Formats: sequence, C-alpha cells, structure tokens
Amino acid sequence: MELPAQTTMGRHHRVLMVSDFFYPNFGGVENHIYYLSQCLLQRGHKVVVVTHAYGTRSGVRYMTNGLKVYYIPWLPFFMQNTLPTFYGTFPLIRNILIREGITIVHGHQAFSTLCHEALLHARTMGNKVVFTDHSLYGFADLGSIHMNKVLQFTLADVQQAICVSHTSKENTVLRSNLPSQKVFVIPNAVDTAMFKPDPSLRPSDQVVIVVISRLVYRKGADLLVEVIPAVCKRFPNVYFIVGGDGPKRVRLEEMREKHSLQDRVEMLGAVPHARVRSILVRGHIFLNSSLTEAFCIAILEAASCGLLTVSTRVGGVPEVLPLDMIVLAEPVPADMVSAVGRAIQLLPSINPFEMHKRMKTLYSWMDVAKRTEVVYDHAVNSDSNDLCERLTRYYACGPWAGKLFCLVAVIDYIFALFLQWWQPAELVEVAPDFPVQ
Amino acid sequence: METEEKPVLNGEKHVVDYPRYTYECEGHIQALASVHRIIVKQRKGRFFKIFWLTLMLCSFLLIFNSIFVSQVINGLECIFLLSTLIVRMFQKNEVTEEAVILMPMLGVQLETSYHSGKVMRRFLPMQKILAAVINEAVTPTTCYFYLALLVREKSELTLVFQEVRPPLDVLISIWKALNDATNFQPNYPASIG
Repeated sequence: MELPAQTTMGRHHRVLMVSDFFYPNFGGVENHIYYLSQCLLQRGHKVVVVTHAYGTRSGVRYMTNGLKVYYIPWLPFFMQNTLPTFYGTFPLIRNILIREGITIVHGHQAFSTLCHEALLHARTMGNKVVFTDHSLYGFADLGSIHMNKVLQFTLADVQQAICVSHTSKENTVLRSNLPSQKVFVIPNAVDTAMFKPDPSLRPSDQVVIVVISRLVYRKGADLLVEVIPAVCKRFPNVYFIVGGDGPKRVRLEEMREKHSLQDRVEMLGAVPHARVRSILVRGHIFLNSSLTEAFCIAILEAASCGLLTVSTRVGGVPEVLPLDMIVLAEPVPADMVSAVGRAIQLLPSINPFEMHKRMKTLYSWMDVAKRTEVVYDHAVNSDSNDLCERLTRYYACGPWAGKLFCLVAVIDYIFALFLQWWQPAELVEVAPDFPVQ
Repeated sequence: METEEKPVLNGEKHVVDYPRYTYECEGHIQALASVHRIIVKQRKGRFFKIFWLTLMLCSFLLIFNSIFVSQVINGLECIFLLSTLIVRMFQKNEVTEEAVILMPMLGVQLETSYHSGKVMRRFLPMQKILAAVINEAVTPTTCYFYLALLVREKSELTLVFQEVRPPLDVLISIWKALNDATNFQPNYPASIG
C-alpha cells in the first residue's frame, strides 16, 4: 500500500466509517456520519462507509461528492443490528480494507454489532482504529452489563476514542476502563443552512410550543403526558405541536381526549427529516423532555431556527447551548411547567435571527471535521500492532473476560492467516478512486 | 492505471499476463471483428490442495468410526477412490476459457469453455444491446468488479463473463471495445484509462 500524500496541513487519510446506522435511515448517528464524511471529503481525505443492507438496497452506492457506501449483504436481525457472528464479516471487511487502501477505521455507536466486529478485524489487519460513542448507557440492567463488556473489549485496543460531550466522555471512560487521555470530546454540529428562522410563520396571539421526538420512554414521552395539560391549564394562550411517532403516542392521544385539548394540541405523527424545519419555524419554544441524552442535536436544530429551548437537565444537555438560549429544568413535571413559564416570559427578548447567527459561529460540521482530523493524526502516530502487545491489553480486562478476549483475538489472527492463504492480499484488486470535482 | 492502447489490426494478437488469467486480444478483417479471450491459468498445486483436504476429511471420519486395522486399509482404498472422484468432478465443471467475440455489424457472442471440452455460447444481436456497464458486486464474503450488458426488454443485466473474474484493466479494455461497437458515446471519466 502506498503512503498517503502529504499536504501543508497534514496527511491525507483514507477513512472507513463503519456503523449499522446509516442512510436510508434517519437519526443522529446517521446524520453525523454523513456530514462528517462530506466535510472530510471536502478537506481532501478519502472516505468510504460500510453498513448493512437495507431490504433490497445492497451493494455499492455513491452519494454526493463521491462518497462510496458499501451496503454489505448481511441483513439486520435485531433493532437494526447485523447478526453478530464474530468472524463472519471478516473476509468481506478484509477485502474492503485492501481494495480501498484504508488507513484508519472509524466505528460509530456502541450499540452497533457491525462496528465492533469491523474494529476487531481492522486491528487484526493492522489498521489504526478510532471509535465514536454517541449515547449514554446505564450500568445496572442486564443488557447494559453485556454491552459494556463488549465495549470494553473493543476499546481495549482502540487508538483514540471520541465522545460527543464531556458527560458522555465520563460515561464511556467509566464503562470501558479506557484511559481518559485517549478520549477526545468533539460535540456534534448542525447544518445551519438547512435550519433558518422564519418568524412570519408564527402566530402573534399565541405562544406555540413545538415537540419533535420519538415518542418512547427514553425521550420522556411520559413526562410530556403530565406537562402538556398542566401548561395548557396555567397558560391559556399556549398551543402545542407534537411531531413524531412511537409506542407512547397512544398515551398522548388519550391525554388529549381526557383533558379535551384537541384544539390546543396538534398531533402530526411521524415527521420526515426534510420537513422538520417547516414544523420548527411555526413555534416560539422547543420543548425537549428526554430522560437521558448524550448530546441533543434536536436542540441545535431548534436554536438554529430561532426557537427558545426548554429542556430537562440530563446528560450532556447543559453543555449544548449557552444559558441565554436554553431554560433547564429537572425531569419532574412541576419543575418543567415553571420552566415553560420562565421561557414564555423570556420570549420578547429573543431575536431569532441573532440566535441563528450565533449558532452559525458556534457549531459547524467543518469544525467537527477539522477536530476529527487531529484525532486521526494522533491515531496514526500511536502504538504498534504487535499481536503480543494487543494480547497484553486484552488480558488486563479482567480475570475471566481477559482470557476470553485473548482467545477471541487469537482465533481472529489465525483466521486472518487462513484468509491470506485462501485469498492472498496481492491478488485483491485495488478499486480506483472516484474523481471528486 | 494504464492500459496499453494499441489499435488492433488484422490477425494481430496482444497478450497480457495476470496472476490468475491470461488475456488475449485479437483483431480480424480490418477491425470489423475482435476476439477477447480470458484463459484461466492451470494452477499446479490446486488439485493437490483439494485432494489433500478431502483425504484429511475422510481419514478423520474413518478414524472416528473404526478401530480395526483391516477395516482401516479397506477404508484407505475407499478414501483414495472417493477423493479421485471428487477431484474429477471439480475438474469437469471447471472453466478453462471465456471469450467475447465482437462483431460491430452483427452482434456479440459470449463463449464459455469447460475442461470437459464442452463450449457454451450465447449470441446477442447488436440492436438488442443498449450499453455495457462495469459494476461492483458485493457478496457476503467478497467484493469484485464485473462487466455486464444492458439488453432491451430484459430487466436483469446479462453478465459477459459467467465464472471468470478478470482484473479491472481487462474489463475496461473490453468495455471500451463494446462501447465503440455499439456506437454508444459515454463520458470516459478522467481518472480511468
């Protein structure tokens, strides 16, 4: 493999983004990968994305600016995750790593099985590995315990890790026993060009509160059920717009019926991401009632559209916006209602265009890409790929777990040797680079 | 990536050697027809590997099942016979050569020759061919380039090479020849060829 070309700023990297979560699905992780990849492409790096097949969408697709996406034909089995076979994806990942000449593999989201497998195989192949964690996880329930162990395995051998907020960094370091010097904090950003304010669409006689989220327990749909009637009772000129769908939607509909709020609460159902801006600009206040959040991009989108945010003080939310653009409350209905009251009083002093301008300077994906480049440079300059060193790191993970991890790594290494015999690396064709205009 | 671009004239043949295949390109009758052949190189060690693997497999099964010496000797004879049969079976279905014969006025003929002597031929008239495309195929274990033809009134692509997987340079030369033959004017991207 030839060395990547040098530039005045640093080296050009050839990055492989791996995650189970990518387009055509919409979400925080998917958007993050897409925007980060686009900005890195513009800065001259080569980016390839690997994700699982979505229905009949399988094979190679090219997105804007020549972003190559491999939809590998392993179908998801549970909550969008590929079936974890440990070594099943090795031949294909190895093939992709060789033919694209990848130097760095960047995995996203701890909950993605494809990501963990790909990172393991990348380390066996000798590539440098970076991991980004997008969510906060607990420590107490069975699912979390297993997930944390898997994460500990993957992160034992990762070069650098990125978290989206300081709270998230603390959470990741505690869960995985990773030394905190290896973890960088790079917050998410928002595409401010897509989210521009338009105060003319707001009514002048009412205060419109917008809620857009998945209506699930984690996002505080139960809190909404308590808060909405209380706010409607206390503030007679408030109008709610609720967008999104999920298992808790039934509860919200029931609440609407029970308190006869059909003319004060509008339920929109699932809102495609392209239409989110048109809903946001209709409101004065954005309400976020999540019970846990590593970083909340929805708040950034709302602030970019000039809305004042009222949110629960959980996770990384306090780190997202300056205190004059957000009103925080404890995740308790009474506190949230008083927070809404404070927000309504603050409304006259809010200028949506000023807010949008500030957001433009505070958050941009190009800034995220520059900072990620720094992480890549650190990763490339870091420790070696000796099998013995890797095994030492795995062994230190725990009395039983350490030995198990070492076994998994050794079997992977043997499989790599077998694959080298079966399909030698010299015979794998290098794919030509797409010419970026 | 460079491909040697020489106009192919009467009966001139140019041969390019690759690790797994030999690519031969011939031109006939003032470039009115051209033949592109992909010849699979016979790898000496290959049957030995299959033979050896089958031998090991059968001997494991046998040792598992029997402990008597006479039975073991009979068993070894069985193993030998079985593995020879398996090797012959693999060899018969093996492709020795695939060829594309381009006749710009008439059409395209695709040929596949097997080790047993059988040759399978498909002919596509020129009016039926819309364009030639090079795509990437992703299977659960590997990823490779292939050349296919868009045929009128067929919703699926017709593969030019059924079994053989030639390198990208070869596919590009044949693709260019196919495009010239079908008088289709694509935009050749700057970085390829």
